[in-house]
This record gives sequence, structure tokens and C-alpha cells, in this order.
Amino acid sequence: MFAAINLSALQAAAGTNQWMAIYPELMLGLLALLLLGLELVLPKAPRALIPTVAIVGLVIVLVGLGINFHTAFLNRDTFAGLLHHSDGGQFMRVFFVLSAILVCILATVTLDRQPVSKVEFYHIVIVITAALMLLVQSNHFVMFFVALETVTVGFYILVSYFRTSAYSLEAGLKYLILGALSSAILLFGIVLLYGVAGSAGQQGALPGATAEPMNFGALRGFLAANPDNFLANIGAVLVLAGVAFKIGAVPFQVWIPDVYQGAPTPVTAFLAVASKAAGFAVLLTLVLNVFSPLQEVIVPVLSVMAAATILLGNLAALSQHNVKRLMGLSGVSHAGYLLVGVIAGCREPLAVGAVYFYLLAYLLASFAVFMVMAHVSGSDDADQDLEHYANLARERPFLGAVLAVGLGSLAGIPPLAGFMGKLLIFIAAFKAAAYLPSLYWLLLVAVAGVVVSIYYYFGWIKAAFFPAWRPPPMAGDAAPPVIARVGLTAGVTMVVLAFASVILGFYQGPLGAWLVTR
Amino acid sequence: MADFLFYLFAFLTVLAAMGVVVNRNAVNAAMCLLLSFAGVAALFTMLDSGLLAFVFLLVYAGAVVVLFLFVVMLLDVQGGDPRKPYQPITAAAAGVALALLTTGLLSLAERGRLPGSVPAAAPGFKEFAARLFTTYLLPVEVTGFLLLIAMLGVVVLSKRLETRGAVK
Repeated sequence: MFAAINLSALQAAAGTNQWMAIYPELMLGLLALLLLGLELVLPKAPRALIPTVAIVGLVIVLVGLGINFHTAFLNRDTFAGLLHHSDGGQFMRVFFVLSAILVCILATVTLDRQPVSKVEFYHIVIVITAALMLLVQSNHFVMFFVALETVTVGFYILVSYFRTSAYSLEAGLKYLILGALSSAILLFGIVLLYGVAGSAGQQGALPGATAEPMNFGALRGFLAANPDNFLANIGAVLVLAGVAFKIGAVPFQVWIPDVYQGAPTPVTAFLAVASKAAGFAVLLTLVLNVFSPLQEVIVPVLSVMAAATILLGNLAALSQHNVKRLMGLSGVSHAGYLLVGVIAGCREPLAVGAVYFYLLAYLLASFAVFMVMAHVSGSDDADQDLEHYANLARERPFLGAVLAVGLGSLAGIPPLAGFMGKLLIFIAAFKAAAYLPSLYWLLLVAVAGVVVSIYYYFGWIKAAFFPAWRPPPMAGDAAPPVIARVGLTAGVTMVVLAFASVILGFYQGPLGAWLVTR
Repeated sequence: MADFLFYLFAFLTVLAAMGVVVNRNAVNAAMCLLLSFAGVAALFTMLDSGLLAFVFLLVYAGAVVVLFLFVVMLLDVQGGDPRKPYQPITAAAAGVALALLTTGLLSLAERGRLPGSVPAAAPGFKEFAARLFTTYLLPVEVTGFLLLIAMLGVVVLSKRLETRGAVK
């Protein structure tokens, strides 16, 4: 019976499974399992050290990635074409590990106030990080979908993690239903593409049909041979719609405000930064590589989406008083600027580096703001109002300064990193507009959006720095939450984030050179 | 004969799927879902994909629907949603969806070029397993982690809290 299996063919198929190519992901998987094991075997007292183990482990992986940035696997396919390793993928790997570290530090601040189990949180964050890293390197729709689902299932749990709060549960349910819907749309698109591109060698197959229709390279070959195929176009648009759900682009942004408000603050930060960045890394691969023969259809669709995203995100954020909803809706508008970068990337290679730089600046600024939010929020994590920031700068000048730098960078105020990110994207879009005239209109919308965003970002800064007259508290009023003491790790992290936001605005150094010339 | 059977099972699948949506009784809806799954499994069999048909019956009809029924009966929902099921907005949404679907089908008939045939004789168990453990080994491993965090999530979200009375 065993003789019937062709062993040498199996060995050849398994020969490209080079596990060394994904050693950071493997290490993260082991680290996640180690955390669970430690909780099993350790007595009660040393278990408080488990978050430290998680953070230290992540830092070790980050250092390893930094040392081995130009790995031997660069620009090669591994795992029978399931993965493709590029320097963009390496950048995103570093990006995800960095955001996981910051999320874990945020969690050490926030989780202690809630009656929830701790270790599982870090475990799930690390598994999601590994899956995100595989997601951006995937070169095949099977790998792509499995990694994406791992990320999404992890987020379903994390969003409803504060289950004593009705907001958190509501957010979890909404994210579950809409996330499942978006996965279904994405899967339907993949199936349509598989259906038209497959059946190579069969009677009646379309020209360019391939035996591996899930492979990105093979699929691109098929699309280049059939750029006007109706079903292929529908499939591509449905796949992009599924990704648009993850980045929260209009018209797929409905879940953002409620989920961002209800989710625990570290999870909100993780969703806002890592999940969105993964969506854009995937979008760059799809739009610029796989679906590039279909740009006639895709570019107009993305352009309309980008304009609507910028306008709606900014206008909806204007009237928000809950700072988590404000971060969510302003994050929608950031997705719009990034979409402009992706569209510009179709004609101008500088735009790809600009999108990466924007994501990095967004990470630094967002986490600085979320760090301050984690300290200002009280025991009710969903109720974080602008009013709670009154007198923040006078009572806690350190937190006020970090908040100002973070918000200034998000708004795009000149010496900060966020300004450079926007500038790079706008320059790239302007260059590409010579070939795609609709980008001039998009640029106009984007600049208008930036101006509007300054209003609400500075409204928040105003609330923190310039005390407004408020009626004296009545007997029945709830007392504003007590601002938490800043611990050593969190304090150092905030200093690093704020300084990095300032320095990256002045001096991009080798990073900027690499991003611009790649 | 094959054509007749295809139309029969396709009609059964779509009809049962509509039954899932319009039925106001959750148990009836779940039974319609079961019927719809059986129709899809029959379609797979007609495509010579015995493996898929088998897995579909085993996993979806056998496990998932039974789980649905179990939960529905455990909750003992009586009477269903008191709101009127069909409001003007429902009709409007259905109209728009129908118009879009018609446009899509018309343009498909006009411009769509479909492959002439479907891949006949999908792989059997042996080749399927061999692929899973060679080419697709990495996704299988990742799925293991997916199931692990899903299980952890169930534990975390349903475990009894350490401090009682904390639920607001």
C-alpha cells in the first residue's frame, strides 16, 4: 500500500519547505506556547513576570530580525511558492514585531484594572503577530487566506476581551459579524478568480489558464492574457473589497467607530496600526503586482474609495467627543491618504516607499497617543471623553507633551514625522498625476482633508492644554477617572516614541534613503 | 439525465437557501440550511468530487447544523423577532440587489468568457492528503495555531470570573 505513494515526488514537493526562511515566525509561535506553559507550571507569585517574558521575547525577535535584515532568502520563493520574501516584507515584519511590543507594553498598563485573565492576551497578540508576518509575505491565496483568518479570529477574541463591559461585547459581536461577512466576500472573489484562471490543459480553457491559479505570479500571467474578462474583474474587485474592510475604507467603514470604542485600548491600537498596515501591505502586493493587468478597472474604483474615505473620515471625526471614536474615524481618513499613495504607486515607484514611511510615522504617533489614553482612562475603558483631558498638561506635563507630539504628528504639523509621511505621499501622487490626471482631484481632496483634520486634532490638544470654564461638579456627577502613575517601561517607551516622531521628521537617514530608492 | 439532475439539485439548493432567509422560526431555518447543504453535496457528487461532497455532508450538515440546532433548542427561543419582518427598506434593498444581480448577469452573458469545462475528477483522498503534508504543510500548521487561539478564546470569554459580582 505504501509503495503506491511516489516518495520521491513527495520529497521534491516538500524540499522547498525551508523552515529557516520563517524563523522569526517560528520563534514567535514557540514564545506564545512558552507563555501558556509557564502559566501552567509556575506558582502564583512568579506568574506576574509572564508579560515581561513576552516583551523580552518579542524584543529578542526584533533584534534578530534587525541583524538578519538582508536574509539569504530575499527575493526568493519558499514553501513551493506559498511565500515570497522581499525587502518590503522584511520591513513589515519589523513593523509588526515593533507594534506587538508596544501593544504588550500598553496591555501591562491597561489589563491590571480589569478582572480578566492576562496570559492568554499576550499569547493571542503574539500569534496574531506571527500570522500578520506570514500574511504580508504570502504569494498564494491559500496561505493568504489562512493567515488572514488567523489574524481575524484572534481579533474577534481580543476585541471582546473585557467581557465585563457591555461595550466590549457589543464591539466583539459587531466585529465578528462584519469580519465574517468581509471574509466571505474575499473568499468569493478568490473562488471566482480560481474558477476562470484554472483548468489549464482542459478542453475549452481560456488562453493563459494555469495549473496553479491560486499562485500570485501564475494568476498575474492569466490576468495579463485576459485583462477584459468579466468574471476575473469581478473577482479582483471582490478581493479588494474584502481587504478594504480590514483597512476601514469607505464604504466598508461602518464597523470602525463602535469596535474601536468598545475594544480594550491596546486592542484598539493594535487594530488601528498593525491590522491596517497589513491591509495596506497586502493591497500594495495585490494592486501593483497580481492585479496590475486590471488597473483600468481597479484605479477608478480605488480613487472613488480614497476620496470618499478622506472626506467621510474627517467630517465624521469632527463631532466626536469620545477619544477612541475620534482615533477610529481619523484613522479612516489616514487610510484614505494611504490609498492615494497606493494608487500613485501604479505609476510612481516612490509612492511605495512613501506608504511604508507613512505607516511607520503613523505607528509612532498613534502609539504615543494610545499610551497617553491608557494612562488617562479609568476603570471603564470604553468611556474616554475629551473632558477627561482637561488640565492634563498642568497636572501631568509629561503626558501632555507626549500627547501634543503624537497628535501633532497625526495632524501633519511640519517638523514631525507625520508631516514628512504626508509630504512624501503627496509628492509621489503629484509625480504620478502626470500619467493619471484623476490624482490631481484626489490631491485636492486630500489637502482639504488634512486642513479639516487639524481642527479636531487641535481641539483635543486644546482640551488638554487650555482649561475651559466648566460648571462645578454636582453631587450626582461621576468623578473623572484618576490618571494612572506612569511606570518606568511605559515612560521610557513614550519618550522614545515622541523623540522618534520628532527626529524622523528632521532626519530620515538610511531608512529614508532605502525607502525612497527601493 | 445529468442536466435534469443538475437543475433539480440547483433548484433545491436555492429554494432551501431562500427558506433559510425568509423563515421566522429558527429551527425551520436550520432545517432548510441542512437541505441546502445536501443539495450542494449532491452537486459536488455530480462534478465527480466525491471527497468534497463527503466532507461537506460530514462537517457542515453533520456537525455545524447540529450545533446550530443544539444552540437554538438550548436557548428555547419562542415566537422569534416581534418586529415586522418586511419593512419598506427591506423591499428597497431587495429591489436594488435584484437590479444589480440582473445587470451583472446580463453583462456576464454579453461580455463574460467562461472556461468551457470544469476540472473533471477532483483529486481523491490520497493525493489530497499528500498535498496537505507536502505543498500545503505551512498553512496546515498555521491552522493549528488558529484552532488553538479559537479554543483559548472560548475559554477566556466564558470562564467564570475570579472576582464575582464584577459584571455590570
